[in-house]
Amino acid sequence: MEKWAFYSPQSLRELIEHLAEIHNPCFVAGGTDLMIKIRNYKIKPTTIVNLNRIHEMVYIRKEDEAIAIGAMTTFTQIAESPIVNRYARCLGQSAGNVGSKQIRNIATIGGNIANAAPCADSITSLMALGARVKTINIWGEIHEKPIDDVIIGREENNLDEKEVIIEIRIPTLEGGYSAFSKIGSRTAVTISKLNMAIVLSYNKADAAIECPKVAFGALGPKPFISDAVANSIKGKKFTYPVIDVIKPVLLKEVEASIAGRASFPYKREAIMGLAENTLNLLMDGIKEGGY
Amino acid sequence: MLLNMRVNGINYALDVNPRLRLLDVLREKLSLTGAKEGCGEGECGGCTIILDGLAVNSCLVLAHQAEGKEIITIEGLEKDGELDRLQQSFIDKGAVQCGYCTPGMLMSCKALLMKNPNPSNEEIKEAIEGNLCRCTGYIKIIDAVRAVADSKEGGN
Ligand SMILES: Cc1cc2nc3c(=O)[nH]c(=O)nc-3n(C[C@H](O)[C@H](O)[C@H](O)COP(=O)(O)OP(=O)(O)OC[C@H]3O[C@@H](n4cnc5c(N)ncnc54)[C@H](O)[C@@H]3O)c2cc1C
Repeated sequence: MEKWAFYSPQSLRELIEHLAEIHNPCFVAGGTDLMIKIRNYKIKPTTIVNLNRIHEMVYIRKEDEAIAIGAMTTFTQIAESPIVNRYARCLGQSAGNVGSKQIRNIATIGGNIANAAPCADSITSLMALGARVKTINIWGEIHEKPIDDVIIGREENNLDEKEVIIEIRIPTLEGGYSAFSKIGSRTAVTISKLNMAIVLSYNKADAAIECPKVAFGALGPKPFISDAVANSIKGKKFTYPVIDVIKPVLLKEVEASIAGRASFPYKREAIMGLAENTLNLLMDGIKEGGY
Repeated sequence: MLLNMRVNGINYALDVNPRLRLLDVLREKLSLTGAKEGCGEGECGGCTIILDGLAVNSCLVLAHQAEGKEIITIEGLEKDGELDRLQQSFIDKGAVQCGYCTPGMLMSCKALLMKNPNPSNEEIKEAIEGNLCRCTGYIKIIDAVRAVADSKEGGN
């Protein structure tokens, strides 16, 4: 067996200082995707760079018009965060639905994004929320890009070999509400077969849906925003059966994304129930006055 | 490469190949064979241990990621020859059948009670959603945790 080098920097500064010299670094955060890829020989690392001792990458902060989440924050921390559940409820719901307790205790949001699986639960919510991803490179330069630009395809991101995700930024919206739900393949340790997030703002005074954003995951190579579905509910009132407006548009969206694929007949039906669940969750949120 | 960690209250400094998983080191270097390798992919929970207070799958953690951390395995629950009350409750309630999942199951439940001594049944189910058991049907396991949480000494 080939030997591995293992490196555990204890700060971002230390990471950046050493990264230039490391040939072909393989970052490990929680390891929940990576360990399986190594086990299946999909990745053959030579130098492991462990990020779990960089404690400054673990935080959830409310700023003026955004919340900021450190890339090494785990899904347990996100699901339990009052800030997330107040200002980005759909992300809290995504986080709480990942895998099992044991997985959520170590799996990180940065790893979920970098791994870029079509079914990655946090990505769908982050897309709908209009999140941005902050990265750092070997020169210590920080870049911020929309999450949609970071994920380019099935398990493909556009990070440079030595670029590290350090933070996720989510704009907060006054009067905003959001919800996420998924259909999994098992009862507990569920990898999504289909997931969906809705973010909108809803002014109780005139009760019409404003600025809706809708995203889907596991409906094609990467999670995506659907303008068509969002437009179909824009300006509508919740007293109106929103689900009926959405259904024909959902069908078109599934056709456009995966027509001809083996999963098409299943997902065409499943998406209707998923949308209904997500809308119901959203309305529960509105009743409770959450975001 | 040197690995320092604390397992069941004992500090270890071990020479560990960076390729090894935490599960390998516990079982093969420390002879703590309670944690089991079932699927090796984080699905079955047979390898669950407590790492800095949280239940994790030791098959998904590289040993060196545990540097400086505190680990509790099933072998660490018993004190001075006496079983932990949770272990005793598993026996009393018939929550152990073939026993393969039991160490992992116990560690998931222990981690729950350490954080939340009085969990609801929903919270107990959530705590063991990543632990597969093909014998008991889970009900007796939930009963066993319930009994400890409801006892006069409480869940802690
Ligand atoms: C049993 C099981 C169930 C699961 N269920 C779900 C589920 O329901 N939903 C879901 O979305 N996922 C699920 N997953 C997948 C996985 O847990 C998540 O994708 C997780 O968020 C990955 O994070 P991690 O910290 O473990 O990443 P790692 O495995 O450590 O890393 C994943 C990849 O990202 C890179 N990386 C990690 N952090 C960074 C960073 N900061 N900057 C740059 N690159 C980085 C690594 O190099 C690696 O290539 C499941 C996995 C398992 C084993």
